[in-house]
Amino acid sequence: MRLAVLSLALLLAGCVNVAPYQRGYLARGDMALDPDPGTSRALEKTYSAKEAASGGASVGGGGCGCN
Amino acid sequence: MKAALALPILVAPARAAAEDNEVGFTLLGYKERGLMKVSEPLVWARGRIAEVWEVEGSAAVDIVTGASPRLVSNAGGVPVQTVSGASINDRRKTGDVKVTRRLGDFSLAASGTLSKEEDYDSKAFGFEGTADFNERNTTLIAGYGKSNDRVKSTDDPTLDAPRYTTEYLAGVTQLLTPASLVQSTVRWSKGDGYYDDPYKFTITFYPQGQAALAADTRPDHRDTLSWLTRYRRHFPDAHGTLQADYRFYRDDWGIRAHTLEVAWQQDWGEAWSVRPSLRYYTQSAADFYSPVIPQPQPGILSSDQRLGAFGGLSPALRVTRRFDNGLVIEGTLGYVQNARNLHWGGNGSEAFDTLRAAYGIVGIHKAF
Repeated sequence: MRLAVLSLALLLAGCVNVAPYQRGYLARGDMALDPDPGTSRALEKTYSAKEAASGGASVGGGGCGCN
Repeated sequence: MKAALALPILVAPARAAAEDNEVGFTLLGYKERGLMKVSEPLVWARGRIAEVWEVEGSAAVDIVTGASPRLVSNAGGVPVQTVSGASINDRRKTGDVKVTRRLGDFSLAASGTLSKEEDYDSKAFGFEGTADFNERNTTLIAGYGKSNDRVKSTDDPTLDAPRYTTEYLAGVTQLLTPASLVQSTVRWSKGDGYYDDPYKFTITFYPQGQAALAADTRPDHRDTLSWLTRYRRHFPDAHGTLQADYRFYRDDWGIRAHTLEVAWQQDWGEAWSVRPSLRYYTQSAADFYSPVIPQPQPGILSSDQRLGAFGGLSPALRVTRRFDNGLVIEGTLGYVQNARNLHWGGNGSEAFDTLRAAYGIVGIHKAF
C-alpha cells in the first residue's frame, strides 16, 4: 500500500495544466474510465462473485446473493 | 457464499469526455470447469437532456445454472469441498437509474438500484457530487449510499434476514498531461446484519473418532475499505493506450486484497482496436476461515474458500470495431484461474480448490 501511495504522489507531482484545446487525446474512447458500462458491469460481477474484495469506484450499487 | 456484493453503478465522472447519448446491449457467458454457468443479457443507456441533465440506466438478468460448493469435509483425510447435489437454477433481475444535474463547475447525482432473485432482494440508493477546478483539470468526487438487503434461502423458507450497508466515497480525477490522466477513489462501507451463507456447511472428523458439523456462521457486521486508482496514458506514436488499475481492499474480517490489471489497447487504423489485458488478484484469509472445525468449536466459522487465502490470474483479449455511424461492436474472451499457489507469497489456504473458468462478452453500443 505504501508503494501505491508513493506512486500516486509521484504521478500527481508530475501533472501540468492541460488547456481545453489540448484535450483531443483525452477524449478518446480508450482513455475513458468506463467506455462500455455493460462490459464493465459484467466483468465486475464475474470477478467479485469469486473474491472477497469488491467495489472502489461507486456507491449505492446494492448487492446480490451470488453463489 | 451468498455474499452481498457491492455491484457497481455507473459513476461520474467515468469518462474523460462523454458522448451525448448512447444505448448498448451486452451479453455475458461464463462457465466454470465442473461448477456453474452464467448467462447475463444487459441493456444500458445514457443520455443528456437540455445540456444540464444526464440520465443513465441499465437492466439485466443473471441466469445461473449448474452446481455450487456446499460442503467442506475431511472424510477423506484432507478437507475438500463438495458441490451441491441438486443443480442450481437461479434467475436474478436487476435495474438501476442515475440522474445527474450539472450546475456550472459542480454536479449532483441521485441513483437507485433494485435487485431481485429467489433468495436475495436488494434495494439501494446513492448520492454523488463532483466539483471541477482549474478548467476541469481537477475533479473532486464525493458520494454516499445505502443498501437494504434481505437474505433468504430456498432450503429454509423461514429465513428472511436483513442486511444494511452504508457507503461513503471520496476521490479525485486529475489530468496529468494532454495524453494522460489518473483517478483515485476510496470507498468505505459499514454493514450490519446477516452475512452467513445458509447453503454451506463444514463436517470435520477427528482422529479420536468424533465428528462435528458446523453451519456457515459469520460476524453480524462488515466494515470495508476499497481504494481504486486508475491510470490512462495514450502513446500517439505507437497508436496505443496504456490502461492500468490497482485496487487495495481491506475489511474487519481480516481480509486484505490487492488487484492489479494492466491492458494495452492497440489501434489498427481508424476502425479496429485490440486490447490484451492481464489481471492479478491476491487475498489473505478471513480471521474465521477454516476448512476444518477447530476444537473447541468456535462460534464463528466459515469454510467458504472465497474467504480463504488465494491468488488469481486472468488474461483477456478484447477486439473492438468502430463504425462511422457511431456503432461500436466489441468482443472479449477471458480466462480466470484462482489457485492456492497464485497467492502472493505462495502460502495460500491448503484446502483451496483451483477454480478454472472462461468467459465471453459481446457488446454493442451506438452513440447518437
